[in-house]
Amino acid sequence: MGGLFSYLKSLIGGREMRILMLGLDNAGKTTILYRLQVGEVVTTIPTIGFNVEQVTYKNLTFQVWDLGGQTSIRPYWRCYYANTDAIIYVVDSADRDRLPTSKQELVSMLNEDELKNSILVVLANKQDMEGALTVTEIHQALGLDQIKNRTFQIFKTSALKGEGLDPAMQFLSDALTKRK
Amino acid sequence: MLPHAVSFSILKTGDAKYFTTTKKGEVFELKAELNSDKKERRRDAVKKVIAAMTVGKDVSALFPDVLNCMQTDNLELKKLVYLYLMNYAKSQPDLAIMAINTFVKDSGDANPLIRALAIRTMGCIRVDKISEYLCDPLRNCLKDNDPYVKKTAAVCVAKLYDINPQLVEDQGFLDELKELLSDSNQMVVANAVAALSEITDSSPSGTPLVWMDSTAINKLLIALNECAEWGQIFILDSVANYTPQHELEAQSICERIIPRLAHANAAVKLSTVKVLMKYMEIITDAEFVNMLTRKLTPPLVTLLASEPELQYVALRNINLIVQKRPEILKREVKAFFVNYNDPIYIKLEKLDIMIRLTSKENIGQVLSELKEYGSEVDVDFVRKSVRAIGRCAIKVEEFSERCVTTLLELIQTKVNYVVQEAVVVIKDVFRKYPNKYEGIIGILCECLDTLDEPEARASMIWIIGEYAERIDNAGDLLEGFLHGFADENIQVQLQLLTAIVKLFLKRPSESQELVQQVLSLATQTDNPDLRDRGFIYWRLLSADPAAAKEVVLSEKPLILDEMDLLEPSLLDELLCHISSLASVYHKPPSAFMDEVSGQRKALPIGFQFSEETSSLDAQSIDSSEECPVVEVEDLLGVDMAPTGFEYGPIGQSATSGESSVDLLSSSLDELGLGNPFLCALSAIPAPYSSPKALWLPAAKGKGLEIYGTFVRKNQEIYMEMTLTNQSTDALSDFAIQFNKNSFGVIPALPLQVPSPLPPNGSCEVSLLLSTTGSIQKTNPLNNLQVAIKNSVGVLYFTCLIPMHVFFTGDGQMDRRVFLSTWKELPAQHEVQYTLENMALNPDIVVQKMKQNNVFTIARQHVEDHDVLYQSIKLTNNLWILVEIRIPLGESFPTVSWLIFFVGALSMNRILS
Repeated sequence: MGGLFSYLKSLIGGREMRILMLGLDNAGKTTILYRLQVGEVVTTIPTIGFNVEQVTYKNLTFQVWDLGGQTSIRPYWRCYYANTDAIIYVVDSADRDRLPTSKQELVSMLNEDELKNSILVVLANKQDMEGALTVTEIHQALGLDQIKNRTFQIFKTSALKGEGLDPAMQFLSDALTKRK
Repeated sequence: MLPHAVSFSILKTGDAKYFTTTKKGEVFELKAELNSDKKERRRDAVKKVIAAMTVGKDVSALFPDVLNCMQTDNLELKKLVYLYLMNYAKSQPDLAIMAINTFVKDSGDANPLIRALAIRTMGCIRVDKISEYLCDPLRNCLKDNDPYVKKTAAVCVAKLYDINPQLVEDQGFLDELKELLSDSNQMVVANAVAALSEITDSSPSGTPLVWMDSTAINKLLIALNECAEWGQIFILDSVANYTPQHELEAQSICERIIPRLAHANAAVKLSTVKVLMKYMEIITDAEFVNMLTRKLTPPLVTLLASEPELQYVALRNINLIVQKRPEILKREVKAFFVNYNDPIYIKLEKLDIMIRLTSKENIGQVLSELKEYGSEVDVDFVRKSVRAIGRCAIKVEEFSERCVTTLLELIQTKVNYVVQEAVVVIKDVFRKYPNKYEGIIGILCECLDTLDEPEARASMIWIIGEYAERIDNAGDLLEGFLHGFADENIQVQLQLLTAIVKLFLKRPSESQELVQQVLSLATQTDNPDLRDRGFIYWRLLSADPAAAKEVVLSEKPLILDEMDLLEPSLLDELLCHISSLASVYHKPPSAFMDEVSGQRKALPIGFQFSEETSSLDAQSIDSSEECPVVEVEDLLGVDMAPTGFEYGPIGQSATSGESSVDLLSSSLDELGLGNPFLCALSAIPAPYSSPKALWLPAAKGKGLEIYGTFVRKNQEIYMEMTLTNQSTDALSDFAIQFNKNSFGVIPALPLQVPSPLPPNGSCEVSLLLSTTGSIQKTNPLNNLQVAIKNSVGVLYFTCLIPMHVFFTGDGQMDRRVFLSTWKELPAQHEVQYTLENMALNPDIVVQKMKQNNVFTIARQHVEDHDVLYQSIKLTNNLWILVEIRIPLGESFPTVSWLIFFVGALSMNRILS
């Protein structure tokens, strides 16, 4: 029934939303992607390259691109910026040392022309880990206050436990529907 | 206004946009389509990209966009993207890294077709950065359940080896490949074999990386019967590279592959023939060899029924086989008779084989066949046929008469080129059977005028000169040739010169004028060969006519018919390459391929022989008794290759004397023979031993470091080594082996290393050596290749054995023998060597030399020199005689010098 529904919807002209999922390596991007798609935790290996999957949330279909976060791959993120509706930026809340790096990557990415109109969702992931920073702390560390002229929100999540992903997706679908 | 000024002014008016890219165009459109959100449009776009790529347009700019279409469940689209990647990954090596995750995912896909596709494509992407990520998926696929995936992975290992051999070795893929040899699926086995042989062929060290043992071969033979034909070829080739451990094994392998001889595929047949030819060398059982010989005949004959191109390949291979084992086809000479419609290349090849097979039994048939060919239309073929008749005459003595008659019949035809060719071969017949057929000279002289080719003219002139005393008008005939001397070919000029000199020596009275004429003509030409020959004759004749007679009319050695046989070692090597380009070209692969590395193949040596290798030394010495002049290098083991079973007098070549000098001088300069002398002269009282050198650095030895040297203690040779374990694991199970070497050095006892050797642990090992092993010349002579095995693997290194450890304790030569030998030795065996900046006291020299087994025979005082005569004996019974001149006056310590006079002779000469 749902398949038929989405088929009808695509006929009406509902375009598949293109979402980029970025972040440093070992932030949990691939785990989140498959948590969203199949609802389970799958064992992953470091993504050298990319994953792309269809994710359906409340009758909305997203095409989610999960790009590898290794230093060697980050330069190629820009190949994927075109036509992006939303960015999910994943941060490892327990990895305090690399928060500055993460901030740097986020800032330089948001400065890109092609992403001017994209919605931003920041996920403070790995909240289940001991010593994880809180949402507020992450908010501060990434300097999110400075963001202007952009729809954005930060969420605390734990991909392993499946917590916090729902509100984030809800926000995302609302924001995307509203914009149309 | 000038035209181009006009155009410039037009452009000036603000059309600058034509110079910037408009971003419109095919590539741009394709880019948009590739990024479309409609699957169908994306797929069509990729198809368009592939189409553009196929016709040669550069679509590499679309790399990231095509790459993004890679993750799809549409198999068609996936294949297209993979195709694109194989083509362009090399031009975008950095971006290609983005494809890895998809490859990894696909290699774990549920669909075996996709798994195989992924692993195959990864192997085809020759980008170094990618190959390291390939390892994990590749390892999984090698263990896959699906045979198709497994066999694809096996091939992929070979591809990976080509890009990064080290990686393959480090990751242990070779062992995994070897495991696949015992797979239950024959397709997997065949591909694993193919991959392994490819890897072995391209291995940079040239040594096989994976040793086939008898169990592995056994598994292959089981798979052989079920394999597809091309798989069978790979298996047979691997079997051909394997050397059985004993004769029974060789026999059983032969029995198991014999049915392949009946295979319809010619390549399978030939590969089987290759294995059998190789194994026949090993098998001593005459009956079994006979059986194989009989079995080999029919398949080779049936190959001649195929189309000409295949036939040619078969014939080239048969040509080799016939040279090695004529008995296989000796009854089948009819199969090589030429058909009128054979292409010329087949005809010539058949003719060649026919002659090789000619024997007493079949020469009648062959001869009448050859006579037929004499009337064919193709000139080249006719010429070769006429020559073949001559070769028959030389080969089969009993039928030479008939051959000559046939040749004469052909001369009667008066066909120009037939006559010329016949004259050339008749000259050879005369060389083989002197004083037998001179009766036909008259007939030959009749057709003198028709000869216009240099070779024929030269042959005719040779005949006239050689039999000048029997040809009444020889002088006139030669004079006739002499008229056009300047216009003749050099070959003819040389013959004419020699022939006239012969004539003069035989009939001096009549031809004095003629000889002067030819000598002055010859010595005035520009050609150095002719001029020099002219001068030599001139001086000989004027200085000593008797000597000239001896030189010019000396008895000539009889010619043999096997002139165009391949050199035996080359033949053996080519037999190992049957059914390859090498056996068609009759050239070793290294001669026509750039990147051939690795060992050159050779036929194995029979078992009966390898058991007797230890008696080889004795044999060579026996043979030296028969021939008094055995050159030094023979005794040093220079030519003592294991194949030198029939050890005959070798010292006939004029250069061998020189080479022995080279050998000795190198042994002094490079091999460190001088070292013991130097050291004997220094203050060390004990026998000289060189300091330990680094033989194997830890980086090369997988963590094991070896320092070592060779010493002589108590009249035995020891190899002293310091082994240090610099790896993090304990090492154990040490063993050592030497390659065959010039002095036959082998370990006398097994290697004793305290085991396990802990990390950072080190130990001293002293290994007793003996010189009774097999002998093979190495370069340099004192080079030794060592293999050490331990729990980590087998390590190889080479080191140099200092010459002085081979000096034996019984090197004191009898004074009389020394004196007589010294006088007898030819001067070219002498080598001089000067030591500078060394103060010497003769007494100390004598004493210290003795500690190093250099014995002083005599001491003399000549004017301002002290002269010492000394002798040395090497372990291989080679003697070295030494003369040391020491200038007197120790008050001049800085200017000291000495000279060694070194000569060498065999033990037998001293005793006789």
